[in-house]
Amino acid sequence: MGRKQVIFIALLIAILVLLPVVVKKDNIINLALLVLLYICLASSWNILGGYTGQTNLGHAAFFGLGALSTRFLWMSGWSLLPSVLAGGLLAVAFALLIGIPAFRLRGVYFAIGTLALAQILYITVGNVFSDISSLRPQDLATYQLVPRYYFFLVLALLITGTTYLLVNSKLGLGMMAVREEEEAAESLGVSALKHKLLALSISAFFAGLSGGAFAYYHVGYYPRFPFSPEWTFDSMMMVYIGGAGTIIGPIIGALFFVVVRELLALKLVELHLIVFGILFILVVLFLPGGFVEAWKKMQAAFARRSKERGVKVSFQTTDD
Amino acid sequence: MHFLKVERLCKSFGGLMAIHNLDFEIEEGEIVGLIGPNGSGKTTTLNLITGFLKPDSGTITFRGEDITGLPRCRACQKGIARTFQLTKSFLNFTALQNVMVGRVYGREPTGNLRVAAEESRASLQRVGLLDKAEALAKDLTLMERKRLELARALAAKPRLLLLDELMAGLNPGEAEEAMQLIKQIRDSGITILVVEHIVKAILGLSDRIIVLDYGEKIAEGLPEEIVHNPRVIEVYLGKAHA
Repeated sequence: MGRKQVIFIALLIAILVLLPVVVKKDNIINLALLVLLYICLASSWNILGGYTGQTNLGHAAFFGLGALSTRFLWMSGWSLLPSVLAGGLLAVAFALLIGIPAFRLRGVYFAIGTLALAQILYITVGNVFSDISSLRPQDLATYQLVPRYYFFLVLALLITGTTYLLVNSKLGLGMMAVREEEEAAESLGVSALKHKLLALSISAFFAGLSGGAFAYYHVGYYPRFPFSPEWTFDSMMMVYIGGAGTIIGPIIGALFFVVVRELLALKLVELHLIVFGILFILVVLFLPGGFVEAWKKMQAAFARRSKERGVKVSFQTTDD
Repeated sequence: MHFLKVERLCKSFGGLMAIHNLDFEIEEGEIVGLIGPNGSGKTTTLNLITGFLKPDSGTITFRGEDITGLPRCRACQKGIARTFQLTKSFLNFTALQNVMVGRVYGREPTGNLRVAAEESRASLQRVGLLDKAEALAKDLTLMERKRLELARALAAKPRLLLLDELMAGLNPGEAEEAMQLIKQIRDSGITILVVEHIVKAILGLSDRIIVLDYGEKIAEGLPEEIVHNPRVIEVYLGKAHA
């Protein structure tokens, strides 16, 4: 990381930490919280989807399991942190359970397989836990948004930081090698299955923790709601729109997604679905690297033009 | 004890016998050429040795250890590295990162990426690609990518190196360079099995040649013996020339 990047990140964190102190409006804090929630989900999806090249369409299952178990444990008297941690671990257990058979499938079959498993869970949870899950009266009486906001902020920093360390380590190199060319990676001693399972477990753990945070945040929802496939597809779209396989991509994607959705929802309730659908197709077809790639291309074009003019300009990429 | 010993190896795809009762040995320090017409089972043999395919029967012994049917990522850890006929570079990696995968995983795994990067630069230098270290693999030419695959395999510190048609698609000058490079690699103590479709390229390079046809070994010997072997001439040129 360059010096400019460190300053930029420090500044960004400072703004996020100070936000609830400066802005007292609940709706703004709530919007920021949603951005953080989606950063958590998208970044966790990115570990397997962006860095390891395995399109997991069952991400909502991990989020849902985290939410379900955290809500259950927390409301039955456990303190919050152990409940959330248990949610993350349950998601990992489920990930390993489905990962070993699912990774026998490749490419689009893996995507379909994970989607099917998540849908089974979604429907089953809907049938078994059909009553709405509400916070207890004593929790409702003392409900505050700001601690929830900070919970998500810490989680987003944890996930982003872990991803940064991971992709700059040996295991990250192996994961990306598997994404790029699985057979070549194996011929050089990388166990593809081991790296896929590791990436899936980390991805599931963070999605489970995010689900736990969701259970802590949300006042009342049907237990099947966090299992709904839109969590998966929204996360995936954010990752691709922002830039798959980059640290900052899911962050930009989440911010863009939430802000545009809110703006559109003011006037046209569900129109954002069409807008994001079209945008997703355009990005996949014409800009596979998302906003991050667009930014890099722009920089390169600027650098070329400056060079032609004989001006020396140094650019720093914002990506990892 | 032979360095590599292949015994009664069989592999069929559906009804097609790709390899049938194949026996051969490779001794330490040799360059052995494996030749044969299209579809004679050269690449299949290589895939069987590296675990990319599981044999139906037969055994493969490497330095006294049975490695038959090991998972494919284990072969490299044991010291058998390979290149691919159609290059399989990590396209969005830089050349250096490509090579680092070999160094970091390979036969002597390490978690120290800084040291791995230094040593990987040395591997790139060895194949004459150091000036492209920071270039993305997808921006390299075919010749450069072939060199990159070689550097990557070398970084894995192999004892046995399997080269699958490394020279295919190269012009005569480039092929000559590649041959010099392969000889240098052998001189540094690495045993080499070369699979080639082109007989001419392999004659000047190999200490010993094995000829396959329809999955069976039809000849084995010194290059000068092989070029005069009637069976070999027959499979390459037809009966009239034998």
